[in-house]
Amino acid sequence: MSLIDLVQEKIVKIPLVSTDKADVLRELVQILKDAGEIEDYDAVLRAICEREEKLSTGLESGIAVPHGKTEAVSTLKLALGIAPQGIDFASIDRKPSQLFFMLVAPPNQSGPHVEALAEIVKLVQSKAFCRAVTAAKDAHEVVELIKGE
Amino acid sequence: MSTPRKILVYVDGTEQSITAAQYAICMASYFKADLIALYVINTKAMEDLLKARIFLQDEQIEYEHDMEADAQRYLNYVNELAIKKGVSLIQRSSRGSVHKEIVNLVDEQNVDLLVIGELARIRSRRDELYDETERAMRMVSCSVLIAKDEDKVWQMYESLV
Repeated sequence: MSLIDLVQEKIVKIPLVSTDKADVLRELVQILKDAGEIEDYDAVLRAICEREEKLSTGLESGIAVPHGKTEAVSTLKLALGIAPQGIDFASIDRKPSQLFFMLVAPPNQSGPHVEALAEIVKLVQSKAFCRAVTAAKDAHEVVELIKGE
Repeated sequence: MSTPRKILVYVDGTEQSITAAQYAICMASYFKADLIALYVINTKAMEDLLKARIFLQDEQIEYEHDMEADAQRYLNYVNELAIKKGVSLIQRSSRGSVHKEIVNLVDEQNVDLLVIGELARIRSRRDELYDETERAMRMVSCSVLIAKDEDKVWQMYESLV
């Protein structure tokens, strides 16, 4: 399972409406709920928040990769949120985060989980790509950018 | 033309890799070939995640333990599939970069055929998005078989006596 197989319009939201970290995590989990990808909203949110409490997954250059493991999912799930305005996510460089890749995996699929996270790291190394995604007008354009079509 | 004498199947816990294992068991049975199943604990990816500060040190250790457990669980599962069809399986797990570990084992064991699961259905033109299995497919010195169509492969496996 490649990251690209997880990318579809229903798990992309642009723009995110949240204005702070707690809300954006809820909004990202809600994307999965609305897309029919998860049933237990609370369990998924708890897994994501538990990891965030240890240290923010807000990286440099406006990227955040919240992630967690929970038995509430049976396969790897991705939600992608874009906040062109930027949201304070307590990132490493203290700059607002704009691109949120949230990954949730079951505990028995650590391999695919790690590989998907590694793919995200490679993907966001291209600043031009990140700029293009942040400037996308809708979910369809985001999916096309990621799939390179 | 000689038939494959040593077959390697790469197992990573995905459904596609289990389909590959079923196909490999069928081939090993048909050709009376030795069958090796390999699971790679991708420590390279975990190191990259630690460097990128996505992983914390204790998180990396936790995931590594999880992946060790996954390796044993999936290899045991493939072994059970093989035993049901009277095929003996050599279980191997290793740590490092997935494609390098596959390439190394192919060379070390003189593998004739590598069997892998279906690759991502939609491929990006972005070089950044190629996956480890695809890299292994390109780099190994032996022939590669990509198992597709879960249902057909399952039927083939089930019909094997």
